[in-house]
Amino acid sequence: MMLIEPQAARVEWEDAVIQRAVRGDKRAFEQIYHAHSGRVHALCLRMTCDAAMAEDCTQETFINAWRALKTFGTRSSLSTWLHRVAVNVVLARRRRMSISMTDPPEAFEEAEQDWTFDTPIEMGEIEAAVGRLPVGARDVLILSGIYGYSHGEVSQMLGIAAGTCKAQLHRARKLLRGYLGVEVH
Amino acid sequence: MTENRITSLRQLAQDIPPSRDLWQSIEREISGGEVQVKSARRTAWIPLFALAATLAVVGVGLWIGQPPEKGARSIVYTGFVTDPRYLRDRAALLESLRQRLNALPPESQQQVAASIATLQKAKRDLEDALGKDPGNALLQELLVNTYQDEMRVLTAVQQADSPGGGI
Repeated sequence: MMLIEPQAARVEWEDAVIQRAVRGDKRAFEQIYHAHSGRVHALCLRMTCDAAMAEDCTQETFINAWRALKTFGTRSSLSTWLHRVAVNVVLARRRRMSISMTDPPEAFEEAEQDWTFDTPIEMGEIEAAVGRLPVGARDVLILSGIYGYSHGEVSQMLGIAAGTCKAQLHRARKLLRGYLGVEVH
Repeated sequence: MTENRITSLRQLAQDIPPSRDLWQSIEREISGGEVQVKSARRTAWIPLFALAATLAVVGVGLWIGQPPEKGARSIVYTGFVTDPRYLRDRAALLESLRQRLNALPPESQQQVAASIATLQKAKRDLEDALGKDPGNALLQELLVNTYQDEMRVLTAVQQADSPGGGI
């Protein structure tokens, strides 16, 4: 039996495909699209709460990624970089539509951690509760709570201060607790 | 139903594929000369916004008799845009500007408002462009410069109305 380390194999595969795409190989970029479109679309869908807009944002993300692929460094994974591009696309679209972020509350210290519930909850119910959150709190919760980005990464992606990021998380936790009627740890 | 129940946010689906394959539309957009044409267009207007922003600052600076200080730029670091102190100061200056505008003659009000509007439009356009090209260092630099220019205008307007000011 052949033992393969999936993560290492994936990175090697991706590096080679990225290099081909940077050189203008569209078939290579298509591979990147098929490997990452679900993850990008999931983020867009959660941030926009609108299926049609999420598809538009996903499409725009990959078009922008193709144009900026040469600037992709090895500091982050392709998946994280695509998420950064997607966040910028969604934020730019919101600005065009004049959707304003609500004022952030005062900062609270909040440790980065996995968010758990004291009783199991239906996934659909959680997604709906996340969708009800105010825009600022929702963005931070999605990136930090669902995708596991650090406060530093989230604040950089959203262009907000780290303190604001923590405050929005605190707010999101409090609201989710109210929406779902369970303790959120 | 119980298999859909989870106890952690991380258990939510990380991948949700779009309902249709978007690749064909993406391929159409990135194929042919279209990308290069759009890219050329984008780079063509970058200097225009920078110029517009600079003209606005110089215009206000000359009008109030206080040219922007060159040294001010060195104390600002690129992360200031998200700095809470910067955001607080900017909000205070904007509020102060709103109050002072009412006390100015109509012609002066229009000049200041037009300058601020030009800077804000430049900021919006640069932010939109960065949404399309997030790794573009030139756009990032221009955006930071525009934020700095806006702060200089706001500060200059506030100082101009104080004793010894330019207005």
